[in-house]
Amino acid sequence: MQIECLDISYQYPQTDIYVFDHLNCRLTGPGFHALFGQSGMGKTTLARMIAGELTGYSGLIQSSEISKVLYTHNMERFPGWAGIGELMASTTPASGRDRLNAMVNAFGIQSVMNARFSQLSLGQKNRANLIRYLIQEFDLLIMDESLANVDETTRGRIIINLKTLYPEKSFLYISHNMMEIAKFCKQIVVLRSPGKHPPAQVISGRNLMREDDLVIKELEQTMLEIVHAS
Amino acid sequence: MLHRRIQQFVLVYFLGILALLLVKYLLNLSDYVIPSPVEIWQTCRTVFARYVISVLDTLWIAIVGHMISIALAFLVGIVGRPNSWFGSLIKAAAYNIQAYPIVAVAPIIFILIGDGLITRLLIAVLICYFPLLLSVIGILSEPVDSIEHFYVATKRMNWRLQVRIRAYENISKLITVIAGGGTMAVVGTIVAEFIAADAGIGYSIRTALYQSDLSKILTALFLIGIGTSLYLTALEWVGNVIQKRLVSSKATPDK
Repeated sequence: MQIECLDISYQYPQTDIYVFDHLNCRLTGPGFHALFGQSGMGKTTLARMIAGELTGYSGLIQSSEISKVLYTHNMERFPGWAGIGELMASTTPASGRDRLNAMVNAFGIQSVMNARFSQLSLGQKNRANLIRYLIQEFDLLIMDESLANVDETTRGRIIINLKTLYPEKSFLYISHNMMEIAKFCKQIVVLRSPGKHPPAQVISGRNLMREDDLVIKELEQTMLEIVHAS
Repeated sequence: MLHRRIQQFVLVYFLGILALLLVKYLLNLSDYVIPSPVEIWQTCRTVFARYVISVLDTLWIAIVGHMISIALAFLVGIVGRPNSWFGSLIKAAAYNIQAYPIVAVAPIIFILIGDGLITRLLIAVLICYFPLLLSVIGILSEPVDSIEHFYVATKRMNWRLQVRIRAYENISKLITVIAGGGTMAVVGTIVAEFIAADAGIGYSIRTALYQSDLSKILTALFLIGIGTSLYLTALEWVGNVIQKRLVSSKATPDK
């Protein structure tokens, strides 16, 4: 699996401001990768370009061994006319039925499956939304702040679960939590502040599979690299 | 709801009557121009039963016309909702046609198909259809990205689901627009009867106008107000029931 952004330039319609100016980066292999950067650096824009939801940029995004890319963000909602369990069941492909229950239990939302989306807490909403994407067919899932409003412990548990349950899939996780991405991600694309060249830098994360494997010194080193890059 | 609406109407109506009588006595106008309270009361008692039947006759035409308008507005709104050439043509056509006062077009309908039931119904439909269409098409062509994104990304989106999502998300607006359309349907029917009919309360008003009988017109206005209030209250009640059913939860979440 590989995604490569080659010489990407993009400016928002009817503005002179470049979000990306000759951006290059490459992510290789399945696993949990991250897209990091300060607010307004274009993380969501790049994610939508990779997902094919945004066009009008120059340059090329090429991928190999990736045919289905899904993009999800934390502002998504379920329709309000039925409970989330019913809605999830109606959009679960045959191949994902067994996995649905496992995900619901792993994400800790089994007690609210009959509730309407509007009745859930923000964290429950984000988890429910993520589950319905995870049970779809995909090669790369882009998670744009998908675990926002979920407590740190649960977030860590969910990420480790994803890495265990989907060893062959690729994830691109967008988060502002530097420690989290440094700990769990394999490769981290850092979108740098304006004026810095090159505009993006790829850093290797600790890619932990268990919290116990954490070596503080190594984590600090990775975080330092991210800070320097950004 | 009904109690408050009728109370408000009766208050406004009697304030109007009071203003008329004030003008009458201040300017010393004759009973021929503005009848006395006693004459208004006597006329009311004489024509009340006949006018009630006329108002009911008008109301059922208005209701049928309103329902046809709603069905048509949703049909055209669904067809015209995509941001396609056809969609924009429908929107432009609806805006342009709405610019013509239907009251001015009504005599053409009368000339073409004569007076009677069809003319009344057609004019009622035309008067409430275009505002309804513009609102419905506006609501149905506005994407609800936060909900639709998943279905688009997973290639599950179809026109029925899209309409369902957009209608559900804007249910209060739709109910308000439909209830507002009810008033226009009543007005449309009365206008049609005034121009081209031999039945209904609009026809009764025209007859009273030819007789210069303000008492009859005032009685008709009173009954029209009550009839319209009843219809609007019924519409709002149905709207509330639909809304409550749609938003009611199946279970209480354990947070």
